[in-house]
Amino acid sequence: MMIAPVGGAKHRLLPSCSTIALLAAFLLPTQAHAQTASPPLTRAGTTISNTASATFDTGGGSQTIDSNRVDLLVDELLDVTVESNNPTDVPTTPGATQQVLSFRVTNSGNGVENFVLSTIANAGGDNYDPVVTQIYIDADNNGSFDPATDTLYTPGSGDPLIQPETSITVFVIATTPGSVVDGNRGIVSLVAAAKTGTGDPGDSFAGQGEGGGDAVVGSTGADGQDAGAFVVSAATVTLVKSAVVTNSLGTADPIPGATITYTIVATVAGSGSVNGLAITDNIPTDTSYVPGSIRLGGSTLSDAADADAGDYNGTRINVALGAVAGGQTRTVTFQTLID
Amino acid sequence: MRTIIFLLFAALMPGQAFAANQVALDNHVFVERVSTDAQGKQRILLEEPKVVVPGDRLVFVLNYRNAGAQPADKFVITNPLPSAVRFADAGDTRPQVSVDGGKQWGLLADLSIPMTDGTRRAAQPADVTHIRWAFQNPIPVGATGKLMFRGVVK
Repeated sequence: MMIAPVGGAKHRLLPSCSTIALLAAFLLPTQAHAQTASPPLTRAGTTISNTASATFDTGGGSQTIDSNRVDLLVDELLDVTVESNNPTDVPTTPGATQQVLSFRVTNSGNGVENFVLSTIANAGGDNYDPVVTQIYIDADNNGSFDPATDTLYTPGSGDPLIQPETSITVFVIATTPGSVVDGNRGIVSLVAAAKTGTGDPGDSFAGQGEGGGDAVVGSTGADGQDAGAFVVSAATVTLVKSAVVTNSLGTADPIPGATITYTIVATVAGSGSVNGLAITDNIPTDTSYVPGSIRLGGSTLSDAADADAGDYNGTRINVALGAVAGGQTRTVTFQTLID
Repeated sequence: MRTIIFLLFAALMPGQAFAANQVALDNHVFVERVSTDAQGKQRILLEEPKVVVPGDRLVFVLNYRNAGAQPADKFVITNPLPSAVRFADAGDTRPQVSVDGGKQWGLLADLSIPMTDGTRRAAQPADVTHIRWAFQNPIPVGATGKLMFRGVVK
């Protein structure tokens, strides 16, 4: 530490410098610290010049002299941060392709720099490894992935050039393996590294900084990464069929002329939903369909293939349930007569 | 144009040359580098850098010396802060500062900054544009002294 033996020791300063000044001097470092994050950073290649001057009077009137000038070149600081743009897990389904995670890559250094992008999908801490197929750069900077507009990343020639203290959006495109089940998570991390080099803070690359100075690894190590995650949102369907026999005798015996009421309960489980769910059942031999007996929940459906969900085509009944979310059930009933 | 510049130099140079024999002002800039030794103790080293990076803490040291034959009265040292440097502190050297490019001077605690809505806020170290030390008593013949302040590369 260089504590300056103040001029005031030999030559007292003006009386305006009082106790308040001393107090202020003690407070200053803390305040300065709180503001260290304030942008913008001095651009790499800038020269900081400092010159002081002294004014005095040795009897011949006021004179001014300048000190020597000290020039400091500002080196390029290599810093980068990566942040996931997905605040929550991105839903996916087994076997789905073109699944998108979004990331923000910020050049937090003070020089223009290319960044090498890569992904890590097998770091663990999840249930499966998404299969990364491509990385895209958001060319129109609209924040949403559009393969026709955005730029497919090619390592090397395509390493994005990012201006200091600006960001780009990067999309990681992945395929979800077909073997995953509902609730599985798959994590992918995007890694961005300064092309000039990475390392420990303070490591430098001589002459490789913007503006002719060195490139110096900053506090981020000149590389950064963040994780995004997919969560599998799938649904499973179980069908349970039961039959109740009624006859004219008031018993449950399946005698000719008895009526069989079939009940099919479809239960959808999972966090996802199923699309295009349809229940089809053939009319058993030696029985005859009771016309107009198809019911879905409490509603009767017509036998014709028309606007309602049910139909009978002479051999089977069919009820088209469409999309059904996990946690819901659908109950279909129909009747036949024993021949 | 060339003539004007020449005239300007001609006007300035004799004064400078004369003054240089009277009072010398020497300017050094150091960077504070914190290193941790094998025992885990932090040491602050002052290096005289050629290059710096944003966030580096700089120590500006001004040495003055009256090498003339007469005491130097009304002695004021002024250091405009380089625009890429944010003022941090001046140790215990008690300077006056300016936050408006050298128009008004005072203790940082007494200065304020006009806001767009017409109000004023208290000046912060980051607002400092100039630093100066004004000595009450003449600098005797042969006397030397040292002043310092710290700043951070923006």
